[in-house]
Amino acid sequence: MHPLLQVLLDGLFTGAAYALMAAGMALILGVVKVINLSHGAFFTLGAYVAYVLAERGVGSPIAAAPLAAVIAFAFGVFLGKSFVNPVRSHPFALPVGTLACALLFEQAAQMVWGPHPLSIEAGAPWVGPGGLVIRRWGVIAFLSSAALLGGLKWVLSARPGLPLRLIAEDEEIACSLGMDVEAIRYLTFGGACAMAAAAGALLSPSGAVTPTMGRAPLLLSLVVVIVAGMDSVAAIFLLSIGLGILGNACAWFLSPQWSYVALLVAVCLLLSARPAGIVALAGRRD
Amino acid sequence: MNTLLSADGIAKSFGPTRVLSGIALSVAPGEPVGLFGPNGSGKTTLVNILSGLLLPDAGTVRFDGKEITRLPLDARYRLGIARTFQIPHPYPALSVREAVRVALSAGNRGEGGGTREDEEGPAEDLLARTGLFNQRFVPCAQLSQGCLRRLEFARGLACRPKLLILDEIFSALSAADEEDLTALLRAANRDEGTAFLLVSHNPPLLKSLCRRILVLEEGRIVRERTV
Amino acid sequence: MRNAASFRAPKVSLRGGTPPARSTWRGGGWLAAGIGLLLLFPLSSPDAFFLDVFTTGFLLAVFAASWDVVGGVSGQITLGHALPFGAAAYACALLTSFAGWPLPLAVGAAVLLAAVVGAGIGTLSAPLTGPFVALLTLALGEIAHEVAVGHTFFSGPGGYAWGGEGGIPVALPWRDASPFSSYYAALAFLCLASFGMLRFLRSEAGLILRAVAGSPVTAQASGVPIARFKRLAFAVGSAFAGAAGAGFVLHVGRATATDLSLELSFQAATFAAVGGRGTIVGPVVAALVLHLLFQGLSLPPSARVLLYALTLLLALRFFPGGVVGTARDLASRPGGKEGGRSPRRRGRNRNGEGAP
Repeated sequence: MHPLLQVLLDGLFTGAAYALMAAGMALILGVVKVINLSHGAFFTLGAYVAYVLAERGVGSPIAAAPLAAVIAFAFGVFLGKSFVNPVRSHPFALPVGTLACALLFEQAAQMVWGPHPLSIEAGAPWVGPGGLVIRRWGVIAFLSSAALLGGLKWVLSARPGLPLRLIAEDEEIACSLGMDVEAIRYLTFGGACAMAAAAGALLSPSGAVTPTMGRAPLLLSLVVVIVAGMDSVAAIFLLSIGLGILGNACAWFLSPQWSYVALLVAVCLLLSARPAGIVALAGRRD
Repeated sequence: MNTLLSADGIAKSFGPTRVLSGIALSVAPGEPVGLFGPNGSGKTTLVNILSGLLLPDAGTVRFDGKEITRLPLDARYRLGIARTFQIPHPYPALSVREAVRVALSAGNRGEGGGTREDEEGPAEDLLARTGLFNQRFVPCAQLSQGCLRRLEFARGLACRPKLLILDEIFSALSAADEEDLTALLRAANRDEGTAFLLVSHNPPLLKSLCRRILVLEEGRIVRERTV
Repeated sequence: MRNAASFRAPKVSLRGGTPPARSTWRGGGWLAAGIGLLLLFPLSSPDAFFLDVFTTGFLLAVFAASWDVVGGVSGQITLGHALPFGAAAYACALLTSFAGWPLPLAVGAAVLLAAVVGAGIGTLSAPLTGPFVALLTLALGEIAHEVAVGHTFFSGPGGYAWGGEGGIPVALPWRDASPFSSYYAALAFLCLASFGMLRFLRSEAGLILRAVAGSPVTAQASGVPIARFKRLAFAVGSAFAGAAGAGFVLHVGRATATDLSLELSFQAATFAAVGGRGTIVGPVVAALVLHLLFQGLSLPPSARVLLYALTLLLALRFFPGGVVGTARDLASRPGGKEGGRSPRRRGRNRNGEGAP
């Protein structure tokens, strides 16, 4: 009984952090209307920022996440402005180009920090009832994610979020209203990358930091967005937690490789089984 | 069988908006029929359903006695129902001649491919009829609007269709283009017995080309007049 | 036949009525020169290392051209092209080492398997568009890669466990192939395969595939069964990829998990982007040049992937038509466009590509 509860709790924490990433992916898909294959690389970036900080003695994810977010925002805006925006509607350049960015980052990380997993000192966890281990970083991740997503939901439904919703619905109208659609696009892109990096920083104490650690979270956020859609932050949050728990259970009872394969299979099944939903997602581009 | 195409009880909604309700129409072999309606009356949706680009929410479409409601666009073309697009989407990298060759070969008439560029063939014949012979090596994407419409015509005629559905093919054309294409349509109807369903919001044109005109208003056929 | 002059054809320059200049003759000259150089290269007694680099380069060039059949000519962006490549490699290895099949039979079966795998990928991806095809093929490739890395097989004699990162050996009928014969065999294979793919490109099926890539709706409205042709594109491209994979594994002697890796799939896309999508020749040239450059400098693997990624981004940014596309534009500049991809046209692509 106990291992299951533990798996559930840990999955809850990781899922909450992934929800941040999935929400970022939803923003990119909805506002910028692209599939960003470099999203996972920003997650990895966040984790490495946390690692570097931990090496210098600042082990707390609360410090690492904002710094990672700022760095990722800068990179994301640069990427969005110089590459994603001009190349958006190109069916070849965009996925291949964002994949190139992801691989670029993976290899650079491998050259700087090596391919071997690195770990971060997590600090002593609390021990709950019945020997349940409550990891401190997990609670922080859960609370931060819930707070940030709650803030995002509020922003989107209030006046500041209006430009984003308008661009997601109908770009021509947004343009004719005088909105700087290009700027909003690359700023949103940067913001979403910041969210992914924050998720990476928050989750970094959980296990191994490797150059390719972002691939699974990328797939996971795609699965969440495809299934839960882009409209409800709450749905994204809940589904991410569900997948986090599932993934944790899979990794615990089988092996981490199997949870990665399970994610891949989920992506394939979703894409094969819901072409209509996918077409709706893709059709928004026009 | 006296009816070439028949549609019965066609209904279509997009979300809460009901675009078509209870549409019933028929086209006899070789009959020139017009479809008139203001913008927003559902003309293009009806055309899309009849040609196989959209599935109706209810109703059936029959062609030559067979039910084809769920048959896709390409299968209908091979059966002999061709359609043109109001806004053509030309191939960015193919020439005019190549575009026609695609229709000829895929339309299963088999004579489209295999001819060298300087040889005469069915593609050249079609291009000459539509007045595109001198532009046959121009990339489709560089054509003017009038020439794009001619190309739509050529593409539609390539399979020697029994029924040609034309979605606003004459709108916003120069007088010369319009004259050429109306002559072409009349010739196809007269010489090859091609029935057509011409969608237009130009009443004089419809009266001069069609024997029967259906009037579509807010998703229903409200009137039918014989010319 | 009606007299063409009886119709008031719109005013247009006479060039529209003349076939495009046979620019292939000019290109053919370069091609012949290139092949000649390659034929003569081993006679200069180079190091066995360089002969090996060229040999693998030739095989990668076939792989790149096979990607172009799917992703360039037919417009199906695949990020999992390593799947048929590696599947054929593993099939060769397993069939010869485990089942004891003779090599030619194993190679034939491997290529057939690759074609079937391709047809399967094509069927799954047919209802999808653009980036979702890329995503699906990426996922399929990664599944195969994980299975290959994780799964181990037990060998017959010796009792070692094969598979995993170490890979599976191929039972070759020859002891040690001479670098010279490998070189010329691979070069001959490259010429044959490229010729085959070019013929396919110029055939009726190739024309229809280009139409499907350019405007699926118009193609459909011209009677083209889209799904069937997408499947054909994948099957043909995957068959050639499988042939390249079989050749690769014959050369190296072992099928390893890197034959199914995302990095390899990515390389194929890079060769096409740099060389010019849809040209077949462009990716071949790009593959040879880039592979010789990066492999020949003996850079470590991660530096190579990094450079490939950089090269791709630069090519996308500055040479959207690739080397061949840009060369065509430069060659035809004085007389106007000749149908090559010009950078200015990028904005108009939205009209032609994709469904309305």
